[in-house]
Amino acid sequence: MEHEKDESIEETITDDNETEEIDEYEGEETSRDVVVPGEVLTEDTKNFLPGRGTIFNKNRTKIISLNIGLKQIKRNYINVIPLRGFYTPRPGDKIIALVTDKNPVKYRCDINAKDDGILKPKNTIKRGKPRGYRGGPPDNQDNSTEKYDIGDILIVKVLSADRLNKPELTTVGKYLGKRRDGLVISIDPPKIPRVIGRSGSMIKMLKDLTKCNIFVTQNGRIWLKGEDIAHERLLIDAVRKIEKEAHTVGLTDRMSEYIKNEKTKRGIN
Amino acid sequence: MPLIIKDEYPEKLFREDGKRLDGREKHELRPIKMEVGVLENADGSAYLEWGNNKIYAAVYGPREVHPHHLAKPDRGILRVFYRMATFSVFDRKRPAPGRREKEISMVITDCLKPVLFLELYPGTSFEVFLNVMNADGGTRCACTTVAALALADAGIPMRSLVTSVAMGKIDGELITDLSGIEDKAGEADLPCAMTWFNEEISLLQFDGSMDLKEFSESLTLAKEALTKIHEIQLETLKKKYIEIQEEFKGGENEK
Amino acid sequence: MMNIKRVISTIEKNYILSNLKKGERIDGRDLWEYRDWTVKSDVIASAEGSSEVTLGKTKVITGLKYDVGTPFPDLPNEGVCTFMAELLPLASPLFERGPPGNQSIELARVVDRGIRHADCVQTKKLCIKENEAVYILFVDIYVINYSGNLIDAGGVSALTTLLSSHIPEGKWEDGKLEWTGKYLTGKTIVNELPMVITYGKIGDVIFLDPSLPEELASEGKISISVTEDKITSIQKSGYATFSIEEIEMLSKKSMEIGNRVKKELNLEQYKLK
Repeated sequence: MEHEKDESIEETITDDNETEEIDEYEGEETSRDVVVPGEVLTEDTKNFLPGRGTIFNKNRTKIISLNIGLKQIKRNYINVIPLRGFYTPRPGDKIIALVTDKNPVKYRCDINAKDDGILKPKNTIKRGKPRGYRGGPPDNQDNSTEKYDIGDILIVKVLSADRLNKPELTTVGKYLGKRRDGLVISIDPPKIPRVIGRSGSMIKMLKDLTKCNIFVTQNGRIWLKGEDIAHERLLIDAVRKIEKEAHTVGLTDRMSEYIKNEKTKRGIN
Repeated sequence: MPLIIKDEYPEKLFREDGKRLDGREKHELRPIKMEVGVLENADGSAYLEWGNNKIYAAVYGPREVHPHHLAKPDRGILRVFYRMATFSVFDRKRPAPGRREKEISMVITDCLKPVLFLELYPGTSFEVFLNVMNADGGTRCACTTVAALALADAGIPMRSLVTSVAMGKIDGELITDLSGIEDKAGEADLPCAMTWFNEEISLLQFDGSMDLKEFSESLTLAKEALTKIHEIQLETLKKKYIEIQEEFKGGENEK
Repeated sequence: MMNIKRVISTIEKNYILSNLKKGERIDGRDLWEYRDWTVKSDVIASAEGSSEVTLGKTKVITGLKYDVGTPFPDLPNEGVCTFMAELLPLASPLFERGPPGNQSIELARVVDRGIRHADCVQTKKLCIKENEAVYILFVDIYVINYSGNLIDAGGVSALTTLLSSHIPEGKWEDGKLEWTGKYLTGKTIVNELPMVITYGKIGDVIFLDPSLPEELASEGKISISVTEDKITSIQKSGYATFSIEEIEMLSKKSMEIGNRVKKELNLEQYKLK
């Protein structure tokens, strides 16, 4: 059955909504101090409050880190920017989903989170489709799960995610839908903002230098497609290097150096 | 049929020179080496060598609960699976998990729970797999210690780490960090663990015979040993990142 | 690649296949190239023989324990060597805990058969007293990290374990078992060194040593155990079919590859004198 083609991604996204995740690793308030669970960040509880990744101790005399991460002070909040973590779906997130199961009424997708995401057929069809013959009820497309198959990679948006229900997804929207080629790699979700960079600087540099299309999503998955496997390998190696060195300074310049050197070494341009 | 070489224990557990059979002082720890992030397919992982103990730890979670009926609606569940390899001990251990392994799994589960925020992850499961490839005394303590690292490596928020050590008594003397032979042939075995956010005991078992004074002294000595081991855990977690920072330090401004 | 929980994506399968058709593998190897091997022996103090082997990122640890028992009635002067494998949950979210499933049984049996039919373990040397007492060797393979091709890693690990073994030597004295004070080693126990070589097949392309994504995308697999000039065991799995020419080609290639890898790894060095 012919299904309307999904939008395909030709350009790397550097819209605002893609970079609203601030690159905390490069922020000025983030120190280079690596802290670990249970570590005392301050005993000055008069002047500081626990922020992200931190907590008061029982007597409220100390602020303690909950994660392995970088210590950050923002106004009077002490935060810990995690270096290791897992993805928690939030409404509005653009993520990469893998269809792992389907029944006649819904698709089940692996979204690299504690729960699988649910994609209902009504969220795979654009609004305003022509109705059936003579303005009658729409044909079965709206209610069937024939558009996608098990094994499909979809760029989706999270519609809702709460404690009681599995996250609901949609493929309706700009740049959303099924990917027909390319490949997907996974990195540690907390490192995603680093791959995007401040105002998209890192991702733009990666795209320009490796000549690959690249779509970075919140659940740690990155879709990419280059002109050939050599460029794709270079991009993947670069992303892995960013993942490993996310907590260091001067990374964007160093990555640019690295890619240029590797291109020479590997004999590609 | 009996094995050709018997597993026999010496009369004395102290040498002529006053040291323990492996050359240690009474309160000296065995060499401990730890590493995190060693298994790429698990959500968090760690490896530990403690004396002859060789242990791999891996964490999966938060993830869906299998079988589903075990899920709790108001909190996540923590399950620990302590398993020994068949060749980890002198007498080959049968491959299937035995009662001892199941008991130790339970004890370690209760020991790790206080540092986790299970109420934040209702309906999910956290699983810790602990595989002892080579055992030489104090394996449940070594497993608890490495499990804490694997949980931190998985990015799971924790109130603090947990550290564990086996105290004991051999030939009438109190000692720290029992080896296998000291555990089997000694007079008392006291595995314990401490959670650091409240500096309280979260694992405590005892087998043997001690009077009240010895027991109290053992707990004091335990805290000293646990503090030292905790330092090693913290260093292990940070080392990975600090080494990389050092590599790229030259020429930048300190923040 | 993407973290695999249950299903491999279609675009990844297509990516692997379209590149294979051009002779390119996603990790840059050529079609008949192994990933890097590391082999260590005697890593477990409590075992009478052990080894840790990594092939790419796949890691297995094998240990040997012995027991003494009465021989099988139809083989009164031969000992026994049995293999077991466990796919630990820590090696991959694809491995569930519980009794050995099909994949671990296949790993143990393929390694077993490759060794058994190669005149490798000298079971007659494992006899202490005919009809009364023989050695029973337990070679247990634990998979610590799964990144494709457990069989070849398991095979080398089992072999290294046997080569580096040191089993207390027993003698039968007045109806009782006594220790001679010496050890039975790989020098006595091991004769031939069989190598098991595994290939994957996707579409029409066959390649050596599947990595994890290649293995998950494979439609067929074939493992061939060889000594220097003989085939000792074969296992074909998966739903793909192989032509007779392909099978003959692979058998011939296996001997070349087997001899080459055996020399590279120099497994003889692990033999205890």
